[in-house]
Amino acid sequence: MKCGLEIHVQLETDSKLFCDCHTNYQEAPPNTNICYVCLNQPGAKPYPPNQEAMEGAIKIALMLACDIADDVTYFLRKHYNYPDLPSGYQRTSIPIGYGGDLNGVRIREVHIEEDPGQYKPDLGVVDFNRSGIPLIEIVTEPDMNSPEEARTFMRELIRVLEYSGNARGEGTMRADVNISLEGGKRVEIKNINSIKGAYKALKFEMVRQKNLLKRGVKVTQETRAFLEAQMITVSMRLKEEAEDYRYIPDPDLPPMMAEEEQIEGIREKMPEPPHIKTKRFIEEYGIEEEHAKVMTSELELANAFEEVVKEIEPKFAALWMRDELKRVLYYNKMSFAESGIEPPQIIELLELIKDKKVTTKAAQRIIENMPKKSTTIKATTAEAKAEALSPTIIAEQMGLIGIADEKNVLKAVKKSIEENPQAVSDYKEGKKEALNYLVGQVMRITRGKAEPDKTVKMLKELI
Amino acid sequence: MKLLDKAVSIKNHEITASDNLENFYNKIKRRNPDINAFLEIKIEEARLVADKIDQRIKSGEEVGKLAGLVIGIKSNINVEDFKITAASKTLENYFGSYDATVIERIKKEDGIIIGMTNMDEFAAGSSTETSYFGYTDNPAAPGRIPGGSSGGSAAAIAAGLCDLSLGSDTGGSIRNPASHCGVMAFKPTYGVVSRQGLLDLAMSFDQIGPFAQDTGGIAMMLDVITGYDPKECTTIDWNVPAFTKITDLEDEKAQDALKGMKLGVVEQFLEVSDDKIVNIIEDTVQEMGELGVELVELSFDYIELCLPTYYLINYVEFFSATRKYDGRKYGYKIEDVCGEEVLRRIHIGSYISQKEYSGKYYNKALQARSLIRKEINKLLRDVDAIVGPTVPKLPHKLGTSLEPMEMYAYDVLTVIANLAGIPAASIKAGEVNSIPVGLQIQAKPLDDAKILQIMAGFHQTL
Repeated sequence: MKCGLEIHVQLETDSKLFCDCHTNYQEAPPNTNICYVCLNQPGAKPYPPNQEAMEGAIKIALMLACDIADDVTYFLRKHYNYPDLPSGYQRTSIPIGYGGDLNGVRIREVHIEEDPGQYKPDLGVVDFNRSGIPLIEIVTEPDMNSPEEARTFMRELIRVLEYSGNARGEGTMRADVNISLEGGKRVEIKNINSIKGAYKALKFEMVRQKNLLKRGVKVTQETRAFLEAQMITVSMRLKEEAEDYRYIPDPDLPPMMAEEEQIEGIREKMPEPPHIKTKRFIEEYGIEEEHAKVMTSELELANAFEEVVKEIEPKFAALWMRDELKRVLYYNKMSFAESGIEPPQIIELLELIKDKKVTTKAAQRIIENMPKKSTTIKATTAEAKAEALSPTIIAEQMGLIGIADEKNVLKAVKKSIEENPQAVSDYKEGKKEALNYLVGQVMRITRGKAEPDKTVKMLKELI
Repeated sequence: MKLLDKAVSIKNHEITASDNLENFYNKIKRRNPDINAFLEIKIEEARLVADKIDQRIKSGEEVGKLAGLVIGIKSNINVEDFKITAASKTLENYFGSYDATVIERIKKEDGIIIGMTNMDEFAAGSSTETSYFGYTDNPAAPGRIPGGSSGGSAAAIAAGLCDLSLGSDTGGSIRNPASHCGVMAFKPTYGVVSRQGLLDLAMSFDQIGPFAQDTGGIAMMLDVITGYDPKECTTIDWNVPAFTKITDLEDEKAQDALKGMKLGVVEQFLEVSDDKIVNIIEDTVQEMGELGVELVELSFDYIELCLPTYYLINYVEFFSATRKYDGRKYGYKIEDVCGEEVLRRIHIGSYISQKEYSGKYYNKALQARSLIRKEINKLLRDVDAIVGPTVPKLPHKLGTSLEPMEMYAYDVLTVIANLAGIPAASIKAGEVNSIPVGLQIQAKPLDDAKILQIMAGFHQTL
């Protein structure tokens, strides 16, 4: 099978594409972020296009390795009749970038358009808060060969968009996917709102089309709608019924031209795209691909990693940041940026482990406390905050500094065996998990200062 | 009394804004029922504005350039709380929710907006007969059409129902009724006046402009409404000339300004016009020659291309612009209630903008437009302005039934300025059987001041 995607995501801007209304449409009460321009009331003309949006689109196009149109760019009017569209047409630009690539999937074009309002057919109402919010549309060539490949591509694309800092996330995504099987015509599926939805729609469609072809039924060119609740697709219209949008250049918006200087300025400032960063991490730092992918999953995390490896051996840093730091972030449902943790603190913590000032177990407890501290402390200065998050200080506060010497560990091991005869006999009968319990007891007695592997060894010897 | 002098008199408290307003209001009460120039009058609000202006003048405060002058606005320009109907049943009960940029500027300069004027439905016409609210009579030639589409604004000036009025010009909609009603009017260079708040006919042609009895009035209004609008992308950021200064001259000096000017007369513009009109225009041009103007004969080979090009683009842009009148928001769906001409334009616009025909009609029209623009600018290169008839025919009698092509033929000389985006004005040149005939003056883009200079010099000779 061959699959191509058209993905729309909202651009992150303060104001709408053609007026000054705010873009926080989800928080605002219905129909409050509106004016005569985004309602397209009689006589209203668009303001000049939002430059933040235009530059964001150029940046994303560059990050997807697109060429930037060196000719004039202009907006077209795409006419269709629907309650969410107050003017009866949607403004959509001609391609801003074209001929790009993301992990081997060719990007046909990147352009910008305006979001319509939100129509709720069940209530018969329209909320125009969303009307006029800038969208970026990314169109790929049909270069994906399975639903899994499409899913991988979309995840990677969302990561690029997040890296750009100019787009909102998957939550604002709307996708059209097209799929064609050997021997069948191209089918387009609309109304997809998530990566999971796209994956499910493609899966369903692949099976449906395979069954048709198996029975000798022709797969005709058509547009289908994805029904999210049922995870199926249903026919919307056949090719012959395709809507004619009667595109014309919008006379209210004169053609624009991106200056070479402006493009270069954006290129200089734009972040390295995640898929390229991953490759570089593998090559430059000699870390495993899987680790590199986790390190680049978030731009701030990737930047922190690069800071940390100036002081710490990369493989150790990557392993530890992937296992422990990501575990804590995941548990707290936080991004690295939200955790408030800074590279110096990671370096400090990793050095404490390396210098055997804390055990790995103690280090786990220290890092578990860092995000919490970061969100609850009232430190106003950067210095005060850094101190509050210092792993050494946290360790001291929690009494976690130091590694118990062999004598003390042995004492604790003996004590735990004495106090827990049941666990000891369970272990002897082959219940391996009983040993973990005993290790826990040793940790409790030594306040986590015993080294886990040594503890296990001693317990085994003594039982 | 010249309008510039009147404005000074109001500022000096020799005439009060309130008296000026009441004077016009009485005339409107008396004459508007017959003429139907105004569709809506808001006298109470206007009185409050006038009263405030008088008080401010009395207490020695600064007042704006248009202080105390009474102004009528075409019904397709948004004025908050007025009915913005575009003379269509579609918008029968639609109230403007905001002020167009030109209205903001007029209000800031203390102009008194008294009401909304009649027009062809959605400005799609040249006679003001297609208004849902009935035709407007021509005060200068009773029983005949006032021209259009800004017929109400022209008739209001001709009948002395206000000091100034605004119209919009897409293919002649300002100049055509000015010519038929014997008043002055000006269509600025495309982009000189903001269209923010103007209901669309064809966006790439539409331009707002003033009507007045004299050049001083035109100049005062141009001073107020012209200039870059950061909220309207097609406006031009340029050094706007001081129009009033150009016209506020002693008669002789105004005439002196004409000396040495080169004015072009295009052979084909005369060929397509009625003989009686040509006679008057030739006499006028002769007079100009006597004032020291150098006359140059020019030839324009593309006149037959102009109307089809103009109408094809007009249809497509109008189709697009009317998609918002879908019946969900503004009362009626346009196709369900509009008149014949509006429906014709929507249908043809929809037809020719189809994907399968785009190369055949619309794109060709855009190419033809580029050609016409290039050729007109070539003609203008060697002259200061082109002069000729505004309209090739005299206004027909009200109630005469005309074929669409006969109707469109009124526009052949005016659409050129819109196709090329150049400034153009109409000024009364004379009369045929007491029916006014207008002289059209067209110049290079942004040479708006030069046209005004010619109008001022020529006006003094009448």
